[in-house]
Amino acid sequence: MSTATSTSSRHTLGEAFVGRAEQIRRAAIFVLLGAQFLLFSLLLPNFLTAGNLQNIAVRAAPLAIVAAVMTLILLLGAIDVSVGSMLGVLAWVVGTLTVADLGVATVLAAVLLAGAAMGSVNGLIVGKGKVLPIVGTLGMLFVWRAVVYGLWDNSDVFAPPLLPVLTDRVAGIPVSLFVVAVVYAAVWYVLRFRPYGRHVYAVGNDAEAARLVGINVDRVIISTYALLGLAVAVASVFYMSRTGVVQAFTGEWFELGVIASVLIGGTRITGGRGSVIGTLGGVCFVATLENGIVLMGVPSLWNDFALGAMILIAVSADALISRRTAAKGAQG
Amino acid sequence: MGEHELLRVDGLSKRFGPTVALSDVSLTVGPGEGLAVVGENGAGKSTLMKIVAGAHRPDEGSMTLHGGPYAPHQPIDATEAGIVTVYQEPVFLPALSVTENLFAGREIRTRFGGIAWDRMREDARRLLERFGLDPEVGDREMQELTVAQQQLSLIARAFHHQADLLILDEPTSALSDVEADRLFTSVREWQADGGAVLYITHRLRELPEVCQRIAVLRDGALVGTHTISEPFEPTRRTIVEEMSRREHANGPATRAPAVVGHDDDEAASPIAPPSADGEVRLETEGLTRAGEFTDVSLTLRAGEVRGMYGLVGSGRTEFALTLYGERRPDVGDVRIGGESVSFKGPRDAKRHGLMYLPEDRGRDGLYGFLSVRANLSSAVLDRLRRFGPLLDFARERTIADGYIDELSIRTSAADANVMTLSGGSQQKVLLGRSLSVEPSILLLDEPTRGVDVGTKEEFYARIRELAADGLAVLVISSELNDLLAVADTVDVMRTGEIIRSVDVAEEGAAQTIVQIAIGADDVTDGESRQGGAAASEEVS
Repeated sequence: MSTATSTSSRHTLGEAFVGRAEQIRRAAIFVLLGAQFLLFSLLLPNFLTAGNLQNIAVRAAPLAIVAAVMTLILLLGAIDVSVGSMLGVLAWVVGTLTVADLGVATVLAAVLLAGAAMGSVNGLIVGKGKVLPIVGTLGMLFVWRAVVYGLWDNSDVFAPPLLPVLTDRVAGIPVSLFVVAVVYAAVWYVLRFRPYGRHVYAVGNDAEAARLVGINVDRVIISTYALLGLAVAVASVFYMSRTGVVQAFTGEWFELGVIASVLIGGTRITGGRGSVIGTLGGVCFVATLENGIVLMGVPSLWNDFALGAMILIAVSADALISRRTAAKGAQG
Repeated sequence: MGEHELLRVDGLSKRFGPTVALSDVSLTVGPGEGLAVVGENGAGKSTLMKIVAGAHRPDEGSMTLHGGPYAPHQPIDATEAGIVTVYQEPVFLPALSVTENLFAGREIRTRFGGIAWDRMREDARRLLERFGLDPEVGDREMQELTVAQQQLSLIARAFHHQADLLILDEPTSALSDVEADRLFTSVREWQADGGAVLYITHRLRELPEVCQRIAVLRDGALVGTHTISEPFEPTRRTIVEEMSRREHANGPATRAPAVVGHDDDEAASPIAPPSADGEVRLETEGLTRAGEFTDVSLTLRAGEVRGMYGLVGSGRTEFALTLYGERRPDVGDVRIGGESVSFKGPRDAKRHGLMYLPEDRGRDGLYGFLSVRANLSSAVLDRLRRFGPLLDFARERTIADGYIDELSIRTSAADANVMTLSGGSQQKVLLGRSLSVEPSILLLDEPTRGVDVGTKEEFYARIRELAADGLAVLVISSELNDLLAVADTVDVMRTGEIIRSVDVAEEGAAQTIVQIAIGADDVTDGESRQGGAAASEEVS
């Protein structure tokens, strides 16, 4: 009791008393990130240069934006593995409409609408259809990928950047970084201060209990998936601004980096616990890893290997911490 | 709207498959009124409650609220209509703070629609304090609380919602007597403000505290309504009779009238003589876990039933979990049959003949997806092998059916899902499973929470028999009367220490125990006085 008394004044935001395990879980990603930076700086002479860091920031924008919202999905105790295929479809929408010269506002409206709609489909499958999220979204991964192949139809779409400003820099800082900062601040605020954000945590804790206290669980699930669709739409605009091309495999394996970022960031795969700040750390780690592997000249398949290993480590470390603290008792 | 017209239910019926759970029940509840719904397990109390709470929909019948039609499709409809339910098994959001649990779904918002954390925390502190909880627990995660603390928080939550009707389902089953008293006070205050209560319980003696009328259910039908008047005793006897009368005597449901005449409030005389001369089975010496319990030493002999009594947070459950190897002690020694042991986990404990029945049978005990039979045999599967790795189903059946018979587990079939059983029968399944490994020591943690009167009697009679056959039993309970009925000696815990062991045959044992537990005993040595002060702080 006395520990709670002495620490509670710090938690004026109403956050629960944070146990040791949770502190470890939260700090882990930033320790990891520090170690990674140190290692790459020592090994790779070109790593710690303004140009390279700017490059990382621009490349990582789609990952960062989708991972922010994927945090909400994982907090719900759900998952969405179809975001890579969705990115492919939405990038095609952006590219094609840009080429058709419909005007920036129209293209943006169209892609956001399409993203929200695609996300809602996943939301309905999981929320209303009660299909296991991993199964439902795995199905959609193939469905949307097939759609990409159909739309692509053996011809790559080349398009000029829809919003060239996204790859620009202001005072040496990439514009994309500002957008990412705004997205993370917004998600953080929503999770902490909006009833919807607290309901996301509540559903992830125990969906049935959440239902009994009067939270509209289905609506929370569906709207979160819709939000994820929106995030993928925004990400596709960034993606197209940087690469300017849509191919059949655009977005393939994108979901791996997104989910890895969230998990490495300390959000529990079982939901109910985690933070978007951690995810930001996870994104930095994943993006930097990719960059470091490229700089090292190692074949990029090692990047996927490293990501897969990171997911395994993050999930099992989490399970281990939970189990140890459970064995030691909750009092800590 | 008339005085008796807050809620009216008319001809409600509900079937689950072939079982008639509720048939043609009509009742009214007026503003400020307390209506008790009593009946044995399976009498339809929970079904009635769930229909009113919007968790089930009736097959037939209708309801009106404030004179208007009321047909909730889901729990949220009931909540919005002003009907709040506190379920018997605590339902909450484990990894969120207590404050958040209090306000989940009804967050206090700022002008801009954001969450007003400061105001929520402030309100939470007041609310928790009112229910005798340490206001600091508001910042803790709900899962760190004991079951009783959780239950109190959820009741506090219901009060906060300022509903018109509060449904309390066995609210005191996880509470100690002192905590229950505090609950009654709050309920009475609330009734004075015009709030109505639908009160579901097995504990008849507490009815006059908060109820004016009693509805008795049996086999899904309303068999009597009574107005509570002084003295309550004659009415109580009538109710007990109505609850347990059987039209057709089928199977083990028939009981001797002598058993039926008792309810849990009646401190039955100890059935068997204390047996203090059995061999020592379990011994702890100076067992300590920081912040949970301190210097606990006790001896448990073969043939003995020891009780352990204490308020919420007194360290009872934590002690039992440590004995069972779920947690490690910081200091101290556990000896089984004279041999010092250090369990790495429950499996170790089981190997040493020690079995534990958990407090929360739903979460920690039963395999909810499995049948009664599978649950009963699950602890001894490794002994049921045949042809190498294959299971001997015939023997599994023999074992399971044996316990179903021996413990009179009421189930439609041995392969029925275990969750379809009543709370009492579920508990018997757990007991049967523990017995199947032929333990020499049995730890029971709140074994009769939410178990009806008749089953409780049976359960404890069985425990006495087992002890008479040489089993050593430790029963942890918040229900003092149960302990007085089943145990030879009661160890009273307060703030993590065994303050005294009381022989139940002693004159005025009940009062002594309660006084020690709440720290109202007149002890003079410095250390105990300190402990007493802490305890009474917790109580006030």
